[in-house]
Amino acid sequence: MPVGITPDESKVLCQRVLGLVQADSAEVRVAVAADQHLRSANNDITSNSIANRIAIHLTVSYGQRSASISTNQTSDAALREAVGKVQALARLVPEDPEHLPPVEPADYAEPIMWSEPTAAATPADTIGWMRPAIEQARAARVESAAYLIRSVGATALANSSGLFVHQPHTSVGFSMTARTLTGNGSGWASTQVTHAHNLDLTRIAEQAIRKAIDSRNPTERPAGRTTVILESAAVRDLLALLVENLDRRSFDEGRSFLNSLLPNETSLKEPATDRRDPVGLRLFGDRATLICDPLYPEAPCGTHDGGLPLVRTPWIEGGVLKAMHVGRFWALKKGMKAQPSPGNIIMPGDGLTLEELIRRVEDGVLITRLWYLRMVQPQTLLHTGLTRDGTFAIVHGQLAGPVKNFRFNESPATVLKNMVASGIGQRVLGGENAMPMHVPPLMVKDFNLSSVSDAS
Amino acid sequence: MNRRDWIKRTAAAGLALTATRWQQSMAEAASVSDHFIRLADIPLNKATSLGASFADFHIMQTDSESLFAREQMVQGVVAESAMGCSVRVLVDGAWGFAASDDRSEESLVQLAESAVAIARAQGGWRRRPVEIETLPAFNGRWEQPIAVDPFAVALEEKIGRLLAINQAAIGSGATFCSSHLSCVRERKWLANTFGSHIEQSRVRVFPSASVTVTDPKKSEFATRASFSPPRGAGYEYFRDLDSTGEARLAVEQAREKMVAPSVGAGKLDLVIAPSNLWLTIHETVGHPTELDRAMGFEANYAGTSFCTPDKLDTLRYGSEHVTIGADRTALNGLSTIAYDDDGVETAGREFAIIDRGVFRNFQMALGQAAWIGRTSSNGCAYADSFEAFPIQRMPNISLKPGPDPSVTVQDLIAGVEDGIYIEGNNSWSIDQQRYNFQFTGQVFHKIHHGKLVGMYRDVAYQGNSVDFWNACDGLGGEKTYELGGAFNCGKGQPGQAAPVSHGAVPARFRQINVLNTNDEAGKKTVAINGNCNGGKLGQWG
Repeated sequence: MPVGITPDESKVLCQRVLGLVQADSAEVRVAVAADQHLRSANNDITSNSIANRIAIHLTVSYGQRSASISTNQTSDAALREAVGKVQALARLVPEDPEHLPPVEPADYAEPIMWSEPTAAATPADTIGWMRPAIEQARAARVESAAYLIRSVGATALANSSGLFVHQPHTSVGFSMTARTLTGNGSGWASTQVTHAHNLDLTRIAEQAIRKAIDSRNPTERPAGRTTVILESAAVRDLLALLVENLDRRSFDEGRSFLNSLLPNETSLKEPATDRRDPVGLRLFGDRATLICDPLYPEAPCGTHDGGLPLVRTPWIEGGVLKAMHVGRFWALKKGMKAQPSPGNIIMPGDGLTLEELIRRVEDGVLITRLWYLRMVQPQTLLHTGLTRDGTFAIVHGQLAGPVKNFRFNESPATVLKNMVASGIGQRVLGGENAMPMHVPPLMVKDFNLSSVSDAS
Repeated sequence: MNRRDWIKRTAAAGLALTATRWQQSMAEAASVSDHFIRLADIPLNKATSLGASFADFHIMQTDSESLFAREQMVQGVVAESAMGCSVRVLVDGAWGFAASDDRSEESLVQLAESAVAIARAQGGWRRRPVEIETLPAFNGRWEQPIAVDPFAVALEEKIGRLLAINQAAIGSGATFCSSHLSCVRERKWLANTFGSHIEQSRVRVFPSASVTVTDPKKSEFATRASFSPPRGAGYEYFRDLDSTGEARLAVEQAREKMVAPSVGAGKLDLVIAPSNLWLTIHETVGHPTELDRAMGFEANYAGTSFCTPDKLDTLRYGSEHVTIGADRTALNGLSTIAYDDDGVETAGREFAIIDRGVFRNFQMALGQAAWIGRTSSNGCAYADSFEAFPIQRMPNISLKPGPDPSVTVQDLIAGVEDGIYIEGNNSWSIDQQRYNFQFTGQVFHKIHHGKLVGMYRDVAYQGNSVDFWNACDGLGGEKTYELGGAFNCGKGQPGQAAPVSHGAVPARFRQINVLNTNDEAGKKTVAINGNCNGGKLGQWG
């Protein structure tokens, strides 16, 4: 078990570090983890690894000057060296007029991210969890590649203002790609749980295998704007891009996509940036609701962000923007309340099954997963990316066979404007964003499928 | 306090600090070097005694320093050090791997035991055992040659340079400017049961900046990021860049971009500068020719590849102009190193991926060559941290100059009737089998009648990897060669970030599909591909 996994151990370590500091103020963050990574490809395990690690990140300040250091060495000599070095650095740094003293202590809700059985599982246990999924793929005569990560760890934050908060976490994430032997059918499915007893890898394997088989021999459907159903994996990747760009300062500085959503103010006499407020405006479709809820049982997260308490917060409600990230300095400057970034995102759905959503589509495309999303135009939040691992035509309310993958160019803000129905929320893994998200499939009109991809 | 006063005040203290602030890292490294052979024997002997047919032992130390300045504020000074070790074993045809930041002798024994235990836990239901080739033993020490150790340069010199960039940009009319410098030193020790004991050290630096100009009344803004890529080099690389000059040019170009006409979508000839093309090489040639990817080992995340082993020596990947080579020996290459993380010597293992248009070879790590009937790895293994399992990663992959050394970018532009000259990389995306790509850039110069006549905005180019390289009909000569690259190419599960360089010359491509990103966003655009007329067209509707 890594050092600092218990509250007492992490408190002792934080106190050891802070006790060495002579600067005006200091903040120490400790992250410990014992992770197991199990990878497979071509229906065999390809690597199986365990790694124990600790990271100590210390920021010290002299007045408005500050510097940070991180180390994974915990000996007295190493900590003394780190503290000495960062203090020397901080003395050399020019004053930052935006520097603020450490966060004051606050009350934090007890997080619900810990599971003793998950923490107690052994490497042999995890192979036992994964083995039936691989054997399913072998039996179905498809080639599978999969990844399982069991993570057990904790984070601690302490500062010279007296704050100390320790939050342990466990999770198991699993994803599997199944590919037909002909190579032209591919399916993917995933899950992430806090409690290992909630794992159902057989179900995940079934989904991946079914999609692989169903997506064989795709036909080409012309690209263009069309109605799509985005399964939860695709929705979460798009929404993560929206949420991370809901930043108050960027908006006030005139370099946010939100600036283009508000009326053009060429005709106004004064620069508009300080007077306009997007919060409270209906910027998205009336079905769009995004909430951060750290205690949401199916997708919990930590209950603080850098020492600021994270509590249930609607970010978008019925299409109305309700919150934006506001950093501590910007909040002070603008007379606002600081708003930490969300630790998770929950999107309540309409409760429709995937089949019911499909029945509502006269002519469209079912997209199960997205890939390689990148910003194209920050002014509109336009992103590009591709569909993968199962893309299907929908005709007259029914699936009408697999189609070749598409490149899309679309803004997640537009997706939330154009959503017309949603399904049942679920937690799935993201492509490049690890934030826990519990989101439903969405039916979205006029989604911009830009070109056809030959990838299968 | 202005920048000059601050530098004066801190100079003496900074120089004194410089001498001491990485002492602990250096002392630890020296201690490891002194005792490495004895230390390595502990886990290797333990693994062998427990039945491992192969084992290797890695120690890795990573020091980094990251500085961030926004306008005239220094908002990030972060020093990081991490050191740890790992044991990788092959037992009964299965890999086991264990890593820890604890390098005590007791821990080394435990790591070997854990690695063997988790390899054994796979026993009995594997279909195909892992098989590896025998490697020659090396006992070597290699240190990347650099002129100025960035970790020995005073902090105030680095900060002063960043603030000077921002000052130049703001003084030229930028609304915002941020600049950043990252310096990394990697020290690696490797021993394996083939008898190798290798110690290596390399350094890389990445200076970058971005300017933003805004028009609040129109709710518009434009950015232009610096073209300076990361390099496997010392501080001299950053010191010798004309970063302030580029900052001033960037502001000018961002302003012009904000009012430039919006491009008309359609097929256009492109001349692509090395500052943009390196990333296109990375995505359309680098990743598709990773053998583990082609064989399905990355199918669950990074994907597979259109470029399968049956296409070796037959696929016409590009036109006859196109030769793309791979190496881990190039001067200033981010992937350059003497031995890869499997212990394979890289000198003499340079290879052509594409030779005069024909696909010739994959990138390989230990145990992969036999998959395509070859005998040994070409030295492409890398692990990004002590806790990372070594996997196949890109060597430096570069487009060779054209045969005529006198050809300039102007010569290539002169051969275009209507087209675009693209500089700087920006957005990039490609499908999971590397067919369909879409890239943007920083600056899009309009070409008309063989000359640059202003600028476009809202440009992206989209295509198919093989069609694109087959559309290449002109290359700059060797004097136009530039090295681009990235600090953080991602691959694997858990994800690993690898530094890699890509050299390129300017290249001309015929009739490439150009998109208007405004159209793609659903905005109304008045687009024009005729002469630039003062930048009044193409505003958002």
